[in-house]
Amino acid sequence: MTIQGVSFDLAILAPILALVITGLLVLLADLLSRSAPRGLLYGIGLAGSAVAFAYMLPLYGRSATTINGAFATDKFAWGFSAVLVLALAVTLLLSSLRNADDGGSPGSYAALLIFCTIGGLVMAGATSLIGIFLGIEELSLALYVLAGSGFPREASQEAALKYVLLGSLASGFLIYGSALLYGAAHSVSIAALAPAAAAMTPLFLVGFALLLVGIAFKLALSPFHLWTPDVYEGSPIAITAFMTVAVKAATFAVLARFVYTVFGHDSVALGPLWLLAILSMLVGSFGALRQRNLKRLLAYSSIAQAGFMVVALAGVGQYGLSSLIFYLVAYAFMNFGAFAIVAMLGDGDEAYADIDAYRALFYRRPWVAAALTLFLFSLAGIPGTAGFFGKLLLLEQGFAGGPWGVALGVALVVGSVVSIYAYFKVIWQMFAPQEGEAPVTTGNSMLSWVPVAVSVAAVLVLGVVPQFFVTLVSAAL
Amino acid sequence: MISVMVFLPLLFALVLLLVPRSNGPVLKAVAFVGAPLTFIMSLSFLHVAPGGIAQDSLRWIGGEVAAAYHVRVDGISLFFVLLTTFVSVPAVWAAFSYADAARLRGYLVLLLLFEWTLLGLFTAGDLLLFYIYWDLMLLPVFLVLVGFAGSPEARRAAWIYLLYNLAGGLVLLAGVVGVVLQSHTFEVLGQSYTLAPVLQRWLFAAFALAFLIKTPAFPFHAWMPATYTQSPTSLVAMVSGVQSKAGLYGLIVFAMPLFPEAAHFFAPTLLVLAVCSILYGALAAIVQNNAKTLIGYSSLSHLGFVLLALFAFNFSSVPASVLMIVSHGVIVAALFLLVGFIEERVGTNDLGAFGGLAAGAPRLAVFMLIVSMAALGLPGLSGFAGEFLILIGAWQTQPVFTSFALIAVVLAAVYVLRLFQSAIHGPLRVPAQSRVGQIIGIQALDGKDSMFDLAPREFWLVVPLLAVIFFLGIWPAWLNDRIPSNANGAAQAAVNEHV
Repeated sequence: MTIQGVSFDLAILAPILALVITGLLVLLADLLSRSAPRGLLYGIGLAGSAVAFAYMLPLYGRSATTINGAFATDKFAWGFSAVLVLALAVTLLLSSLRNADDGGSPGSYAALLIFCTIGGLVMAGATSLIGIFLGIEELSLALYVLAGSGFPREASQEAALKYVLLGSLASGFLIYGSALLYGAAHSVSIAALAPAAAAMTPLFLVGFALLLVGIAFKLALSPFHLWTPDVYEGSPIAITAFMTVAVKAATFAVLARFVYTVFGHDSVALGPLWLLAILSMLVGSFGALRQRNLKRLLAYSSIAQAGFMVVALAGVGQYGLSSLIFYLVAYAFMNFGAFAIVAMLGDGDEAYADIDAYRALFYRRPWVAAALTLFLFSLAGIPGTAGFFGKLLLLEQGFAGGPWGVALGVALVVGSVVSIYAYFKVIWQMFAPQEGEAPVTTGNSMLSWVPVAVSVAAVLVLGVVPQFFVTLVSAAL
Repeated sequence: MISVMVFLPLLFALVLLLVPRSNGPVLKAVAFVGAPLTFIMSLSFLHVAPGGIAQDSLRWIGGEVAAAYHVRVDGISLFFVLLTTFVSVPAVWAAFSYADAARLRGYLVLLLLFEWTLLGLFTAGDLLLFYIYWDLMLLPVFLVLVGFAGSPEARRAAWIYLLYNLAGGLVLLAGVVGVVLQSHTFEVLGQSYTLAPVLQRWLFAAFALAFLIKTPAFPFHAWMPATYTQSPTSLVAMVSGVQSKAGLYGLIVFAMPLFPEAAHFFAPTLLVLAVCSILYGALAAIVQNNAKTLIGYSSLSHLGFVLLALFAFNFSSVPASVLMIVSHGVIVAALFLLVGFIEERVGTNDLGAFGGLAAGAPRLAVFMLIVSMAALGLPGLSGFAGEFLILIGAWQTQPVFTSFALIAVVLAAVYVLRLFQSAIHGPLRVPAQSRVGQIIGIQALDGKDSMFDLAPREFWLVVPLLAVIFFLGIWPAWLNDRIPSNANGAAQAAVNEHV
């Protein structure tokens, strides 16, 4: 289809269009019936994400562009987009728990979540600086509102405000960096930046540095992570879970595309990225040690995990991208699993945010405790779980990336050792015998077990027989 | 077949989970079938020694870096497997008197899981599989210490244990990745790689650090006293009897064959650490007042002998080490079980708080005597055979280090006799609150001299261990001749080249 000289390939845009229609349908349903049940609205959202995913299937392994080359489906887009759609579905499920915070307006909540995902999909597919910026802004603006949707809680309002203020600053860096890069390459296309990168012109380097600041902010890489703990702690659980997975997936798609398209093997200009990775791994792991709030702990852990994932890009190696996607998918499942447990224990509210609430959980609710233990094992990288193979692949990338890569590998090992203490602190609480009165526990609906069960299965399958998935990822590249 | 044996404890652990928690007799019956059945299955591999090998391999991960699900039992790993399955039987059986009947199921499940990971480790023919079990085996121990040992000190000890060993594990992982980047496969056993000497040294150092932490050897033993002292009886019998051999197994089967030159380069360092372990362990054991801590330090000392043998590079290095490893595993497991029985009776491990148990428990006293004598190396018992072979062998290549190690033989007599005498001999004294204290409070000791002696279960579960102690003491050649003379390819090649 061509409109005014711009060609549109609907097959490539179909996932995004499906979500756009879904979002509008949700708004419409909300508008037509002021008392539309939450189940209906979230059901539309879930169905929409299923349709979007179905439209993505034929794109697997394809490499094509549309809108005159400004948007692509390719090895950089597909895996990350799949994680985004998955994140949307899981977040909707988590939001449907009885006590979940949705700001009293499930219609706009669900629609914003869907628009947020659309922003992520645009980021993953955009091949130009403008497209990337559009995607990031769409994602961020919706998320600023969602962070505050735990409205009556002050922490949630605080989270939203901090996120807006610091997020806007980061956007400023991003747009300024993009402008300088345009100046360096005389084009907004990422591919056109390669010659400027090879020449290492000052304009390019400054632009790249500013762009990297913006990206590091979105990824919560240290030292641009200061907003993370407060925002993650204050936002409703489902939104925190969405942030840790979806925002990372979308932003890593941008970073990977940028790094692989613009830089050659072992480019010196990747030095800042190296530094960000090491700092994040160490700051995230050490920061997690002292936390008493599980959401905060997982926030610091997500800083460290983002640092781990940057290791995949060290040296721009041949297998970096597949390692990154493998780890991201593993991370998505283990992180969602952990958040799903926190959410279902309190049936959506914040009762189980405090680590002390997990005391002797194993003896009260053995299956829940066992599942959370598995997710924490996976986050810690214990063998037999997805996290272990993910870390193994990253470690290989690091060690294969020359002496600087070896330093990354060493930092990864150190970070892992330290963060193990943080994760096992929760496990310790769950298995230590009860002291004093045990809190009353209630069961959960079958629906709330769905994300948990899916994550358990995924973490175990990726941890015991990773081969088929590695093949799946590599075949698409 | 090997996989069936390895996963049998896991299977029984899962079956246990299906039994209601309150159904004590059925739980015990399942566990009582599971552990001995695994032992009987492991006996079916006796035919591989000497020189043979039984193995199964399945393609697991392909592509750039290959890994296989490869399990094997050869002349060396056979004895580690047998030790595991054999020690697990009394350990699981001893757990039946676990104090909190409502939580017995969880405890038994974790013990069986522990046995599974140990078996997996000793049969792993692939570096990746080896590493996976290496880390997994920490988890049952951690969970038992947190949830089933019952004291705040134990819950603290869980941390020390976990962090120390996981740190070692991740260093090992870095080493493994370093090897794999050269070999492009995790299946490195039986292959020879010519790695650059400098790289070899780094990789060997990574492997050895993890292995020495696990053993433990001086100065990496900081986790050991707390873990050994706080673990419940069955667990500590398995940790000291079997898990402490995992590091030595790794050295013999992986580190030394993979990095022969680096092994020689680091030999002086490791010999120094070995002698330090031997002497420090013995001296520290002498001053301990807690029976379990004392045995823990004695274990540090005894395993130092194995390190001495391995890095003295002589003709009997590997056979003597394996003999010592098996013998020490059985002896230390028996010691910890007996001390556990004493603890159940008198409520404490503090040597100052009780004594003279021979007055009311003659069979316990006799068993304790036999095991103590084996621990101090009395000829005719297994402890002597291993130590003697090691000292003879090591003397020929490393007389200086060996003469230092000899001092520990005398020191061993001091701490073992102190343990035995203060617990068993002398006038009977026990804390009034303990089980024995209450029995004595009600009726006087006259005439009935076996009022709190070993129950039939306790009696029979120690007997097989004693039988092996006698058997290996009288006929060590049974084991020694089964270790192939060219055991373990490169390790022995390195030895021969050195001699």
